[in-house]
This record gives sequence, C-alpha cells and structure tokens, in this order.
Amino acid sequence: MKITSLEDLENIARKGLKKLNPDNKVRISVGFATCGISVGGDDVFKTFKEKIYERKLNNLELCKTGCIGFCGEEPLVNIKMPGKSIVVLHRVTPNDVDDILQKIENETYEFHKAFFKIDDWDHVTSKIHYGDGYENIPKWNEIKFFKPTKRVVLRNSGIINPEDIDEYIAVGGYRSLYKVIKSMTPDEIIEEVKKSGLRGRGGAGFPTGLKWEFAKKEQSDVKYVICNADEGDPGAYMNRNEMESDPHMIIEGMIIGAYATGATEGIIYIRAEYPLAVERFKKAINDAKKYGLLGEKILGSNFNFDIIVTEGAGAFVCGEETALIASVEGEIGRPRLKPPYPAQKGLWGKPTNINNVETWSNVPVIIAKGGDWFSKLGTQKSPGTKVFSLVGKVKNVGLVEVELGTTIDRIVNYIGNDGVNNGKIKAVQTGGPSGGCIPENLFNTPIDYEHLAAVGSIMGSGGIVVMDDDTCMVDTAKYFLDFSIDESCGKCVSCREGLKHMHDILDDITKGKATFEDIDTLKELAQTVKVTSLCGLGKTASNPVLTTLKYFYKEYEEHVKHKRCFARVCKDLIRYVIAKDECTGCTICAKRCPVNAINGEKGKPHIISQNVCVKCGICYDVCKFNSVKKLSEAIGGEK
Amino acid sequence: MTEYVNIYINGRKYEAKNGEMLLSVARRNGIYVPSLCYEEALGAYGSCRMCIVEVIAGEQKGITTSCSLACTKDLKVETDTQEIIKHRKILIELYLAQAPNSEKIRELANKYGVKNTRFKRKIEKKDPLDNKCILCGLCVRTCNELIGRGVINFINRGYKTKVNTPYFESSEICMGCKACLEVCPTDAITITDKGDTRILSSWSNTTVKMEKCIGCGKFSVPEPIRKKMDSKFFYEDEVLKNLCPDCRKKLITKKVTLISEKKVEQYVK
Ligand SMILES: Cc1cc2nc3c(=O)[nH]c(=O)nc-3n(C[C@H](O)[C@H](O)[C@H](O)COP(=O)(O)O)c2cc1C
Ligand code: SF4
Ligand code: SF4
Ligand code: SF4
Ligand code: SF4
Ligand code: FES
Repeated sequence: MKITSLEDLENIARKGLKKLNPDNKVRISVGFATCGISVGGDDVFKTFKEKIYERKLNNLELCKTGCIGFCGEEPLVNIKMPGKSIVVLHRVTPNDVDDILQKIENETYEFHKAFFKIDDWDHVTSKIHYGDGYENIPKWNEIKFFKPTKRVVLRNSGIINPEDIDEYIAVGGYRSLYKVIKSMTPDEIIEEVKKSGLRGRGGAGFPTGLKWEFAKKEQSDVKYVICNADEGDPGAYMNRNEMESDPHMIIEGMIIGAYATGATEGIIYIRAEYPLAVERFKKAINDAKKYGLLGEKILGSNFNFDIIVTEGAGAFVCGEETALIASVEGEIGRPRLKPPYPAQKGLWGKPTNINNVETWSNVPVIIAKGGDWFSKLGTQKSPGTKVFSLVGKVKNVGLVEVELGTTIDRIVNYIGNDGVNNGKIKAVQTGGPSGGCIPENLFNTPIDYEHLAAVGSIMGSGGIVVMDDDTCMVDTAKYFLDFSIDESCGKCVSCREGLKHMHDILDDITKGKATFEDIDTLKELAQTVKVTSLCGLGKTASNPVLTTLKYFYKEYEEHVKHKRCFARVCKDLIRYVIAKDECTGCTICAKRCPVNAINGEKGKPHIISQNVCVKCGICYDVCKFNSVKKLSEAIGGEK
Repeated sequence: MTEYVNIYINGRKYEAKNGEMLLSVARRNGIYVPSLCYEEALGAYGSCRMCIVEVIAGEQKGITTSCSLACTKDLKVETDTQEIIKHRKILIELYLAQAPNSEKIRELANKYGVKNTRFKRKIEKKDPLDNKCILCGLCVRTCNELIGRGVINFINRGYKTKVNTPYFESSEICMGCKACLEVCPTDAITITDKGDTRILSSWSNTTVKMEKCIGCGKFSVPEPIRKKMDSKFFYEDEVLKNLCPDCRKKLITKKVTLISEKKVEQYVK
C-alpha cells in the first residue's frame, strides 16, 4: 500500500499504536540492540519465546526493542499490561522468565527485578500516555541516570520496535516528511534547519543548514546525500545504538535532506562491524518503499529518491568525508585536500551532502517542532542535545543524551553516579582517541563545541571515558596515540612520521628512559603535527598528548625525574614485593608465578627475586591476604 | 575568460588568476616556498606539508598549504613567519629521520639551518629506494595519471607505507619511460641501462627491453615506447622511427640546413 494522504498515515498510525500500546494484550519487549544482546538479551528473548509457546499464552505479544541507553543494566525487558505503565526490568536472565510469565498470568504485578516504570513518554513528534499503576516502582525520570537527560535523538529508543515501521509512524514518524513534501519548498526547509542552529554531530560541528544550502546551490543533474555511519572511535557506540533502535528517524531525515538539496540518491556508509544495524536499515528501507515513502513518486509527489546501504572499508580514517567518498568509489580511503568541498565535487564528482547519523536524526524533529523550538535547547552557539557514551570508571555506564552546555560534572558525577569503588575521579577524556584529557578541577566546563576546544579537547562523536587514580596519564596518552598511529592513512608526513616519533618518546618516558629535553621535543612535535596535518585525524591526534602535558605535567616529571609512576601502571617503573610481616606463607603466589620468581617455605614469609620477576602481576592478584605490594618508588632524587 | 585578482605575498602586491594556486604564483614570481610534492601538471596533493603559509586575510585564515590555496581577491599571505619556519624545521627533522640518505633533503636542511634530527633514523638494509624516499607520491601519481600505466602504488598504511609495484613483483606493464625518476624530489629511484635492457632496480627489478638506434648503434629507446609511438604518430620519414632522440635531432638539423642552404643558393642566384 502506498501512502499518499494524511489519512493514510493516520490509519497506519492507529494500527501501529495498537501494537505499541495494546489495550487487550500484554506486550513484552526485550532490549535487542548489540549492547543488550552481548549480555544475553538474545537468550532472554529466546526463552520468552519458548515459554510463551509452552504456556500457550495467546494473549501476549513478544517483540524486540532498541536500547533505552542504560547499557550497564541490560538485558532490559519492558512489560506492558493493558492500561498500566510500562515496567522496565533490569539484568534479566533466562532463569527469570518463568517467574515473570507466572506473575503476568496471575496478574500480580510485583516483578522482583523491576527497575523503573514509564507512564508518560514524550516521543517529541508525539506524546503518549502508556498507563498508570505500580506505586512502589520509581518513575523513569526519578532515577539519577535519567533525571538530567533530555531525549530528542533517543526519543523512541528502547520503546518502539525498530523493525516495525508502523510503530514509528504511530509515534509521529514520517509526519515531517509529509509536511515538507506537501507544504514546504526546499528553501523553506533549509531556512528552518538554519534557524534551528543544528550543527553537525560527526565532530566538526559545521552548521547543517548552511551545508545544505551549498549543496542546493550547485547545478547538477545528479546529487547525493550520504549518511556517515562509519563510527570508528573505540568506545563510542551512539550511532550504532541510534541505528539499531530507530532506523526510520535517520531515513526520514535523509529523505527530507535530499528533498531540500535536490539529491536523487542516498547512501548509508556503515561500519562493516555493525551487522545488526545494516540488517535493520535494509528492512527499514524496504518497508518505507512499500509505503511509498521512499523510491519513486514519494507520497504521490514527483519527488524520487532512493537509498542504498554500503558497508565500510574498516578503517577509522574512512569516516573522514573525502576518504569516505574515495572508499565508496572503490579507491583507497585516503583523504584529499579541500577545497573543493564535497558539496561542490563529491561522490563521482557530483555535489554531495554528507551528514552524521545523529545529525540526520534531528532533522524530523526540527521540521515537526520548528527551528525556534530546537534552537532553545542547549546553548545559543550549540543548540540541541547530544548523545554521549559514558564509559570507564563510573558506576553508571551507558548512553546519555543531554542538552549541550551540560557540565562534565553533571554527566560524570550525577548521571554516572560517581567513581567505582569510591575511587577518586581524576580526569575525563572526551571526543574519542583524538580528544583531550580534562582534569577534575575543570569539571565545571560545559560540554559544547567551543568550551571543549577552549580546554584543548573536542566534541568528536561524543565519547566520554572516565579515569581515576589507577590511570597513568602518560600511559593513557600513549594508548590513544597507538590507536591513531594504526589508523593514520600515511599520506601526509606530519601524521605518518610525526605520530610514530611521538609514540617512541612516550614509550621512553613510560620506561623511565627519557629526559626533560625529550619532553620538550615531544611538545614541539605535537604542536607541529596538530598545525600541519592534512586531515582531521592528524590535526587532532596530538590532543591527548598536549592536554596531558598541560594538566598532568607532574606525572611526566615523575616518570622522567624519579622514574616513578604514580598510578603504578608503567611496568618498567614498578616492583612487586611481599610484605614480610603480612605474608602467611600460604604458597599460593609461589605456585602461580609463571617464572618461579617466588621462594619461601610453607608457613614462612615468601620473597620475590626481582631479577627473575617479569611483573605479570599474578601474585598481586592471587594473594588473599593482600601481602603482595605493587610499588613505584622514587629513584634518583628526593622522595 | 580569465579573471585576474590582486593578492599580497609578504606585503607585496602580485597579480594572480582567480582560483590559481598560491604556490604557482609564488614560483612564477621567484618567491621561494619549499615544496616537495607539487607539480602543476598533476595538481595539488598535499602530502609534504612543506609549502605551508599563513593566510592573514582571506577565506581560510591561519596556516594552510599554499599548493592548495586558491587565490581570491585581496588574499594576503606570509610565507616565512617565525611559526611557519618553526614547523618547517620540525618537518625537515622528520624527513631527515625518514630519508637519511637523501642529499636533497640534506640540502633543504642546510637551507633552514637544521643540523641534525632529534628523531630516530629509519634505516632499512635493503631499501629499494635507498632510504631516500619521503613518500611524496609524485612518482605514483605521474605513472598513474600522466603516463597512464599504474606500475607503482602505495603499499600498506600509516608509517608502514611504502611505494613500489604491487606485491613487490616485477612489472609487466612498465614502459621504462623514467618519468617517475624525473619527478622524484629526493633522487630516490634507481634506473640503469645495461646492454639492451633497462633495469628498474627500485621497482622490484622490473626490466624493459631497449631498441638499438640504426644511426649510432646505442640502445636508447625502450621497446614499449617505440611500439606506442608507432601506433600514435605518423612519421614523414620512416628512417626517423629507428633513430634515438639524439640521432633524430641530428638528422632533422641536417635536413633543415640542407634545405636552407639550397634556399640561400637560390637567393644568391
Ligand atoms: C579521521 C576522521 C574520522 C571521522 N569519522 C567520522 C565518523 O565516523 N562519523 C562521522 O559522522 N563523521 C566522521 N568524521 C567527520 C566527517 O569528516 C564529516 O565532518 C562529517 O561526517 C560531517 O557530518 P556532520 O556535518 O553531520 O557532522 C571524521 C573525521 C575525521 C577527520
Ligand atoms: S593527517 Fe593522517 S590520516 Fe589524515 S591525510 Fe595525513 S596521514 Fe592521512
Ligand atoms: S609479578 Fe608475576 S613474575 Fe613477578 S613474582 Fe609475581 S607472579 Fe612472579
Ligand atoms: S618508468 Fe615505468 S614506473 Fe616509471 S613512470 Fe614510466 S611506466 Fe611508470
Ligand atoms: S620515490 Fe621519490 S617521487 Fe616516489 S614517493 Fe618516494 S620521494 Fe616521492
Ligand atoms: S607542495 Fe604543498 S603539501 Fe607538498
């Protein structure tokens, strides 16, 4: 069936709503994004399916949903009884399934793994009242992890079934597309996007409306739009989640962008490591075509536009727009000089507009609610929200969407709920491997493009890694550099040669073999690489080095001057010893030492031969009495 | 129609074509901007980073490469600020470490007063490019884009990048034209002629057969080039076909002189 009128859309919306919020059936939806699956969500789903069949529960609908963001609490299961709120259960295992189904059958609503409930939900493109009840369970926005968040991009994530286009339409999906095709000119759309102030979420923060205008201005029979879904930063997975949880919002955004810029073909360039997202996109594209929302004569108009999915070449640098284009054309993925910009000469030499997954996700909202509405979110210069992946040494890890301008402190200490093991948080690193490390005393910095740049970091794609006292900052800088070196394409000298030498110097520092002159050389080189590299990879790869030098110079100094690593991470600067008066002589360490470095009689204190020990740390981990100590003492110079 | 604009380099006014690359304008006017990867026939590539300049007024303010900087009205650049020199010196140090055997790089270093490199030198025992290659890409681009052969390409990525024939296997398609050697800014490529064979030792010992000149008897024209020329050019005098460039020149000069001598004779009469 092809949709051509608002009435058609409303009919499908009604159908979708019956599935999403059934009034005569129980609906169980299991978090089925990669994060949920990786901790057993698929087993939970399978068990539900089997047990529902065994119990012959006909009046029960089992489906998949995306990820609501609280990845640390997965697998999450949503239970929706007619008329009642959605109850979200956390850390569900296959063993819980029987109990859950029994309670549903008995209509007793005390699920022992209940985590929070959802009574009302703002899908932004619509609002839905799901139901009431469950006095004892906290509302979703009463728990710390969600309270400061603002869901615009993640408006449907973890609620709707991403594989069902009807449910997307039920929460207001494709209304924006309808609106632009039936009542707006391309110029009016671009004006609205400009008014919203939306900036590219792929890292550089370029104003989206302006970019669209450039592409529209170009005269050409063929134009392209591309969705950049290459997401290669280690630890970042917001784009993956957005695609897995709500593919239609991205597709709708792309169709609107194509209509505005005059593009005839769309390409989703997606990381090959994201098979589930590829699968969901392919299904979503097919479903949209069946409804006449994509393909020829979209919504009965004269506008034709199609989308294909292309899998990436597996290199981080292929996320850079010109390298991405080269890669789609079958060339090696090396960036080229700009100008000309892709808007002028992009894919196959044709005008091309390229945006990030999350940028596209915001588009339907801007059309639905208006540019003015959007521009009031966030800050004046960085309007809107941003999804961050919060990982590392905090209690709550997951995806958080907050208004831009929210402070680091609020994200790390409030949403993240402080450090694990009550360890002191020392720094965060934002923006992926090429972001800077921001020390704790600057945690009042608001997160937006300008403020992050001012402290030497970047927004990047939105990764936040939290580090505590167990992290050595020199080692951290080296670790991130390792990544950039592996990903450097090798075209320009600064990045290709420079990063390698920076790494070698850092390596010497962590081994206690460097001098203060080496630190100066490191700093000079880092600056040159930053200024003179050809593409964004080299231009930003120095950030971890420059910021740790700036904010954690003391640690560098300790490594060089006293050959000491505060965090006791750098292997060459630590020593394992057994405290004589604490050792019970249980012999476990001696048995486990792979190189037989530990000697001693049973019941008597043991001793580690320093010249034999390879510092594997096994004895430290296995000693039940904490008698093995990891030391890093000052050598040469005062303590 | 070409549009001309005024631009300013180091405070002095110059005329440039609108959209022309700044490095070309500088070269034309004798302003020295170091560059290792730019050939006008190939266009900007941006791998060597030596040609950086600082844009004082214009669209891309800040430090940028002049080989890719399009001239627009009232563009103002400085080519030798303290900061630029500082960066160039470090780049030279990187080159000294990367291509320790290159005389050309050492000359460049001397020009900038760089005596030594603080970075570890990369020396490989059996480097076909004699530890002189700086991966500027000119040979690859020339062979691919100008000669249309694609004999050589980049191998690996990042700091492991190399330039050579695919899988380091000798090439079947090389014409032995030596264009790669001509463009190399560091004299890294070795090509020698031995009897009737041209040996491209840098390119996995690729060999190309040479043809003998019927004039002087030297082996001078690679066979594949002769064949290609045969199919492309029409020779007025068949003899020219089998002569080396030197003998060809001689013959043509002779002919021309003969003709003019005849003309002179006629004139005198
Ligand atoms: C090394 C490198 C990697 C990049 N990787 C990505 C990526 O994975 N996803 C992305 O959207 N943008 C990435 N970018 C940024 C893109 O070049 C481009 O700016 C972006 O796709 C534009 O979309 P936006 O305006 O919506 O941000 C990368 C840039 C660089 C330099
Ligand atoms: S900065 Fe690095 S990744 Fe970018 S072009 Fe240069 S070598 Fe390649
Ligand atoms: S650190 Fe490893 S090698 Fe050293 S004593 Fe302990 S177990 Fe043995
Ligand atoms: S000599 Fe061979 S490798 Fe060199 S440019 Fe000519 S064809 Fe290419
Ligand atoms: S061999 Fe010469 S021309 Fe080729 S990349 Fe190396 S330095 Fe450049
Ligand atoms: S000449 Fe401009 S980067 Fe090489």
